[in-house]
Amino acid sequence: MNTKSVIAIAGFAMAAAAQLFAHHSFAAEFDANKRVTLKGKVTKVDWRNPHIYLYLNVKDDRGGVTEWACEGGPPNVLLRQGWTRASVKEGDEIIIDGAVAKDGSKRCNSRSVNLADGRKVFAGSSENSVGGADNKQ
Amino acid sequence: MIGAAATVAWLGVIHGPIGAQWLNYPTKGTPRGPDGKANLTAPTPRRPDGKPDMTGVWMGVTKYMIDIAADLKEDEVPFRPAAAAEYKRRRETESKDDPSARCLPLSLPLKQTITSPFKLIDIPSREEMVMLYEGARHREIFMDGRPLPKDPEPSWYGYSIGKWDGDELVIDSNGFNGQGWLDINGHPTSEDLHVIERYRRIDFGHMSLEITIDDPKNYTKPWKVKESPSLLPDTELLEAVCENNQDLEHMVGK
Repeated sequence: MNTKSVIAIAGFAMAAAAQLFAHHSFAAEFDANKRVTLKGKVTKVDWRNPHIYLYLNVKDDRGGVTEWACEGGPPNVLLRQGWTRASVKEGDEIIIDGAVAKDGSKRCNSRSVNLADGRKVFAGSSENSVGGADNKQ
Repeated sequence: MIGAAATVAWLGVIHGPIGAQWLNYPTKGTPRGPDGKANLTAPTPRRPDGKPDMTGVWMGVTKYMIDIAADLKEDEVPFRPAAAAEYKRRRETESKDDPSARCLPLSLPLKQTITSPFKLIDIPSREEMVMLYEGARHREIFMDGRPLPKDPEPSWYGYSIGKWDGDELVIDSNGFNGQGWLDINGHPTSEDLHVIERYRRIDFGHMSLEITIDDPKNYTKPWKVKESPSLLPDTELLEAVCENNQDLEHMVGK
């Protein structure tokens, strides 16, 4: 990723949190109280609707490797926030802060992504929609 | 509209093509300030006949997509008992049965309140307006004086006719299939749903939208909500095909 893109994305991350898109209810699938910070190497970027997926191999203390699938916003929401499909690439070392799937699978909803150069960007999470702070229920 | 402002800022940073068609391309006829940015508080554009020109790419506000009654008190939604029970069930299961989570279409008024843009195109010569959506869906709003259908074939988007009330565009719709939810929280609808939308273009970049929900099977009387779509300047709709839905098998609800 070139430097200009990274700067722009970082700027967007702060500004764009107001635009959320919930294809589905966050709380039906993810547990906002079960946070996870995943550091690993990207094995695949699936830039498709209704959500992008970042797949990454996360090493544990014992040397084991687990593949996680973390969803982000839909491509169009992310494009409008300054992402492109090249913002995260296979082989990048990234950190995802997210919420874990309720069904125990190795899936997360990405709230933010620390890119390979350390910049932190918003990932289009719908966490603050249903089941989040904006929800009246 | 923070997202729109950010989109404009992006133009100044990136040179060369980015990965989507016309994500950032100056729209002809857009009033601009000295810095070249769209002037969203410029006067309402008008058609040759003096009526407001509603054409543009517009987007709603997140909170109404989630809960169309976000600005109402709990007892201001006039639920019938069965509708209240269904709404409670949907909330208690965290909206896991939301049809849009299955990539089924959004019905009205969710199409208008979702934070994905819609493009309104006014075609006065054909006495018709068209609304386009990013999920490759559309609505036609007939302005030629025809009545609503009397025994309509049920449909996701319904049938829409429009007229002017002064400077307000009034769209009347019926013929829904009752499968749509009014919002992601799950306010229910039936085939008797009748929606009235009243759009007023306040200035170049802002609209007011009053939505009346009239669905006697679910609600004891018509009820109204107010929305405020904003213009997304210098952009166009992008394709969005729901092709890789991996959520469904993991949506356990509570």
